[in-house]
Amino acid sequence: FLSRGVEFLSPFLPSKGTKRWQRLQIRPLLFFLSQKGLCFGGAAASMAEDLVLDTAIRDWVLVPLSVVMVLIGVLRYFVSKLMRSHQAPDLKVVKEGQVILRARNLRAASGFIPAKSFRSRKTYFTNEENGLLHVPKGQSQNAQAQMFSDPNLAMDMMKKNLSMIIPQTLTFAWVNFFFSGFVAAKIPFPLTQRFRGMLQNGIDLSTVDVSYVSSRSWYFLNLFGLRGLFSLILGEENAMDDTQRMMQMSGFGFDPSRVIA
Amino acid sequence: MVRAEEAARLDRLESQVENGGGGAEEYLCLVRKLKARRSDKVLKHGLSILNDPKARSKLGGEEWTLYEQVAFAAMDCQQHDVAKDCIAILSKEFPGSTRVGRLEGLLLEAKGAWAEAEKAYERLLEDNPLDQLIHKRMVAIAKAQGDLSAAVNLLNKYLEIFMADHDAWRELAEIYMSLQMYKQAAFCYEELILSQPTVPPYHLAYAEVLYTIGGLENLQTAKKYYASTITLTGGKNTRALYGVCLCSIAINQLTKGRNKEEKEGSNLQSLAAEALQRDYKERAPKKLPLVISMLKNMKLNS
Repeated sequence: FLSRGVEFLSPFLPSKGTKRWQRLQIRPLLFFLSQKGLCFGGAAASMAEDLVLDTAIRDWVLVPLSVVMVLIGVLRYFVSKLMRSHQAPDLKVVKEGQVILRARNLRAASGFIPAKSFRSRKTYFTNEENGLLHVPKGQSQNAQAQMFSDPNLAMDMMKKNLSMIIPQTLTFAWVNFFFSGFVAAKIPFPLTQRFRGMLQNGIDLSTVDVSYVSSRSWYFLNLFGLRGLFSLILGEENAMDDTQRMMQMSGFGFDPSRVIA
Repeated sequence: MVRAEEAARLDRLESQVENGGGGAEEYLCLVRKLKARRSDKVLKHGLSILNDPKARSKLGGEEWTLYEQVAFAAMDCQQHDVAKDCIAILSKEFPGSTRVGRLEGLLLEAKGAWAEAEKAYERLLEDNPLDQLIHKRMVAIAKAQGDLSAAVNLLNKYLEIFMADHDAWRELAEIYMSLQMYKQAAFCYEELILSQPTVPPYHLAYAEVLYTIGGLENLQTAKKYYASTITLTGGKNTRALYGVCLCSIAINQLTKGRNKEEKEGSNLQSLAAEALQRDYKERAPKKLPLVISMLKNMKLNS
């Protein structure tokens, strides 16, 4: 049997010069096959057996990747702090903020004042001619258009986006180049076959269980998961608001005039 | 609003520092956080720290905040040279800063040079038109000069921009009361109640204003607000209890002729009267007979 298995896997067999980590992908498979005595020709069923992953993977892939991402995050935080431009508060913006606060108080505590005063305040805010909160139809600007018309704000956004995109791209390319083509970790719960394309990018064997993922998925896991860690070590209002900003960018159909509806 | 535990801690620290124990910096920090006005103590202990170079260097970055705090306290205690020294040191360290400019304006105010202080503040306002503290100082100048209507105008203009600032509404309400413009004061108290509906003093003050304005509807509303004050304070507010009784009597006087369809129930009045008597029995039993006779008179006359 073993010779049959080796025959099949011959294109993957390590040659003299391959690095140790490239051999990692073979060792578990050989081990597994020898245990089970399965003939490759006939086996079409999915194998739900355990692969034993080398601890060297943990030492040299998972931990360094996390450490590198943390360091890059910290670096970005300090760089963004240096590059942040101070924006002088605008009278109109401040006034609007205060008006909204007052209107919110009115709505919340409306039961505590006499009906007449409530009505007079309501008209003050929503009066057709000069009500403070009244926005005539068709005039309310889309938040997105507003943001692009203000040059300062646009520059700010560009800077923030750049500082987010560039490190992400670089790290992703680095991961792909160095850490591809082998199984990096096992997800503790079973998954359906649909996730295969997403999680097992470098692994070209369709028979490995979907729970065994490549290091690319470890990268994504870190990307979204390190936010909590950053808020611990960098304090509140830190730079790793990637996910928030990504959500902001996608949710741009946001119309503030309909917020207090 | 200073919470009870923090106030207790402040007093404890104060007595500790007064009697020679350590902890002066902690005391000063707490005073700064709670914005308590203990200027003489702050001045004494702050100066002792600042004049001692070892303790000063131990403060690090906090040194400058302490200078500012001591300058405030000195101006409050009318020790202008101490304040001037502190401000000089601060302006050497932070030239051209708004915060230091504010202190200089304050010093001019403390000395009574109103016109110069106004000019200094206006200069600062050119650079920072949205600085709330400077606006409030201008109002304070007008008030200190006794020009209440100017203060009212300035405060109104300030509130047009910063209408969610409830301290400013409170100040305006007090000024209106002293000017006897009750309707406007009532409006301000309504704003206060809107922003902080669970604070009893505002309900009480609003009720008093309504009672003062008079008129049947206002009296009925005033009674409701006295009642809500009693609810919020758990029945301990003597003034509100009196208010309820007086309101009921006034309402009865006004509605003497008409048939009492909406008898709101004299329950409230009798309950309030009972609570009053109980209160006096506990706390000032000597005056209890006066209260009883007064209540009897009121019931007879109504």
